[in-house]
Amino acid sequence: MTKATDRFTDPSPDQTAQPPDNSLASSAEPAPARSSKERNPLGELKGNMVLAGVGGQGIITASNTISFACMQAGLDVKKSEVHGMSQRGGTVVSHLRFGPEVHSVMLEPEQAEWILGFEWEEGLRFLEYLKPGGVAFVSTERRIPPTAQADRRGGRVDYALESAPPDGVVPIDTYAIAGDAALERPAIAQTVLLGALSVEMGLPVEIWKEAIAATVPPKTVEANLVAFENGRSWYKRWKQDTAGSKGQTVLQANGSKKSYESIPGSGGGKAVDASRTTIEAWRGGIPKVEIVRDWCKGCNICVAVCPERVLSLDRFDIAVASNPDRCTGCGLCARLCPDMAIEIWLDVPTHLGASTE
Amino acid sequence: MSTAITDAATVTRVPVTGKEKRLLRHAMMPHMLCPGCGHGIILDAMLSVLSERYDNLDNVAFVAGIGCSSRIIGYIDACTLHTTHGRPLSFATGLKLARPELTVIVITGDGDGLSIGGNHLIHAARRNIDLTCVLLNNEIYGMTGGQAAPTTVLGAYTTTTPQGNTQHSFDAAELAKAAGATFVARAQSYRPQVFGEVFGQALDHVGFSFIEVMSDCTEYFGRTNRFGGGADMLMSQARYEPSIDADLARRPTVEPIADAQPVRPVLPTGLLYRSSRLTLEETMGIKGARSSEVNETGQYSTDQGRDA
Ligand SMILES: Cc1ncc(C[n+]2csc(CCOP(=O)(O)OP(=O)(O)O)c2C)c(N)n1
Ligand code: SF4
Ligand code: SF4
Ligand code: SF4
Repeated sequence: MTKATDRFTDPSPDQTAQPPDNSLASSAEPAPARSSKERNPLGELKGNMVLAGVGGQGIITASNTISFACMQAGLDVKKSEVHGMSQRGGTVVSHLRFGPEVHSVMLEPEQAEWILGFEWEEGLRFLEYLKPGGVAFVSTERRIPPTAQADRRGGRVDYALESAPPDGVVPIDTYAIAGDAALERPAIAQTVLLGALSVEMGLPVEIWKEAIAATVPPKTVEANLVAFENGRSWYKRWKQDTAGSKGQTVLQANGSKKSYESIPGSGGGKAVDASRTTIEAWRGGIPKVEIVRDWCKGCNICVAVCPERVLSLDRFDIAVASNPDRCTGCGLCARLCPDMAIEIWLDVPTHLGASTE
Repeated sequence: MSTAITDAATVTRVPVTGKEKRLLRHAMMPHMLCPGCGHGIILDAMLSVLSERYDNLDNVAFVAGIGCSSRIIGYIDACTLHTTHGRPLSFATGLKLARPELTVIVITGDGDGLSIGGNHLIHAARRNIDLTCVLLNNEIYGMTGGQAAPTTVLGAYTTTTPQGNTQHSFDAAELAKAAGATFVARAQSYRPQVFGEVFGQALDHVGFSFIEVMSDCTEYFGRTNRFGGGADMLMSQARYEPSIDADLARRPTVEPIADAQPVRPVLPTGLLYRSSRLTLEETMGIKGARSSEVNETGQYSTDQGRDA
């Protein structure tokens, strides 16, 4: 993967002389007007990327940051955004292209060197845009829209998180990496993705920091810079750890449930922790599930309706919370249990001023 | 790295669900309903609403007839009156006239309230007595072994209609409305929150409030119609499922009936009708009863004018 992306970071004349394999990519012979290029060693950089996630995750800000950084490096940048239902947690996607000169703004499938997935499923959904050998940095954060929960049914939906991610995907536990500030401002977690991207993109770190300072809300600059640094060093370590071992291929072969978590450095099973901290911040406490075994009749309703697949039936056909850490405290299972066998509560830290009612 | 923000010693337990459990007769639990029976979901939803409104149920009386649906009042820690088959509304009428200050809630089934008790239902609606009637419609006689009920839709299988039902069914909500009920709603066990919403409004409404709840009999209606388990039945309430139709069509003995409905018809839910009329207590001049005036001045506005 390093090799593949080196093509875009290596400004050797040999590379630029080749006709671009991407018909939309900017001219092989840069416009003479851009004479600054000779003086600017970064002027040869070019690349395409797709940023995808859901409304409220800071995707537009991130694409502004990247554009700003590219412009600081004297590059031409074009970006486009689709954010239809973004206010209601809908999908937001941005195409971004940079190079000595960029003409068209839109990408076609298999034209992006990089994908930044701000939400796990959204990130994977846009994988068709990834060039063979490209890298998709995908946050393991998951946001399931409420409408999807209403119709969700046991045995039908396979979470991408449970299976090994496809080649080229770097699953990043952005919350765990970003630092504590992300708990209060979720958008900060996403700057981890920029940190990882910066390793591949070839722009100097100073330019990135400048761009972050210029584009994020002033109060969050410091926290964003920490997240950026953390993301950058995490990804460097990840590359080292997986170099030669081709971590994901190994995982695809074994195909077991938690396989991706065993990628060295991928967070070591921290994906669950990330969702926990998100839920804690959002609900104001840790959701807990309790099942009264004597009352449960094993009807399977709770198992089928839980959007997070927290519950299952044990060998006595009694419901058990087999993945308690994934419970979001929605209460659906408890409301639909005909036997009132489930109770959901939040463990709220007393120092946060919880009341008993 | 993020750290857990909680520490076992300093957490407070804030219930998300389960507050309603204090209104149960715990000694009676677990209840006798079959696995996945929709009546249990409604019992829980009803208690959730009541637990928000009342500290105890000393002034709430539940009256029920006979049937699995009616049986659920046996688990509620309130004044409960388990009466004869089909007559809960008659007992409730007497109770309400004698003790008009009580909140009276009648729980009945489709067999209980629409076949043997159908007459009592239309007359209670006609009189507009101030009580709330919840009819749990599972489209079958559950308690006695799965016989066809007046709500069993055309084509559905029961133990008494092994070739598929050849009779048309009642629309209970329309029936109650036509008979003079001043509050008519329909809910589903699939969406207990919607039930809770209309149940709360029905308790506020002064006059005969009728709620039909689509519930699931997993043991008989589910099994004879091959709907799958409780979870599958519940989901089939959510949307019209072509697969169910297809499955029925594969049964060799059934001749398609010309105007047969799908077995799980798509029915309107939520508040269907609301109006305001003098109640039986008012027309009889009983002291201590609620006044139907509040229907107009109270927390919700009526969409129909007073016609009495
Ligand atoms: C006078 C009289 N006739 C018949 C019965 C038998 N019986 C008991 S429950 C029942 C049907 C109840 O059906 P439904 O009201 O739909 O309740 P479900 O069990 O389906 O919830 C019948 C016919 C009886 N108990 N008393
Ligand atoms: S819904 Fe209730 S009774 Fe059914 S399996 Fe779950 S806990 Fe048990
Ligand atoms: S409360 Fe937890 S266990 Fe229950 S349905 Fe919601 S996520 Fe699943
Ligand atoms: S027979 Fe049907 S209605 Fe009665 S408890 Fe069983 S599932 Fe429920």
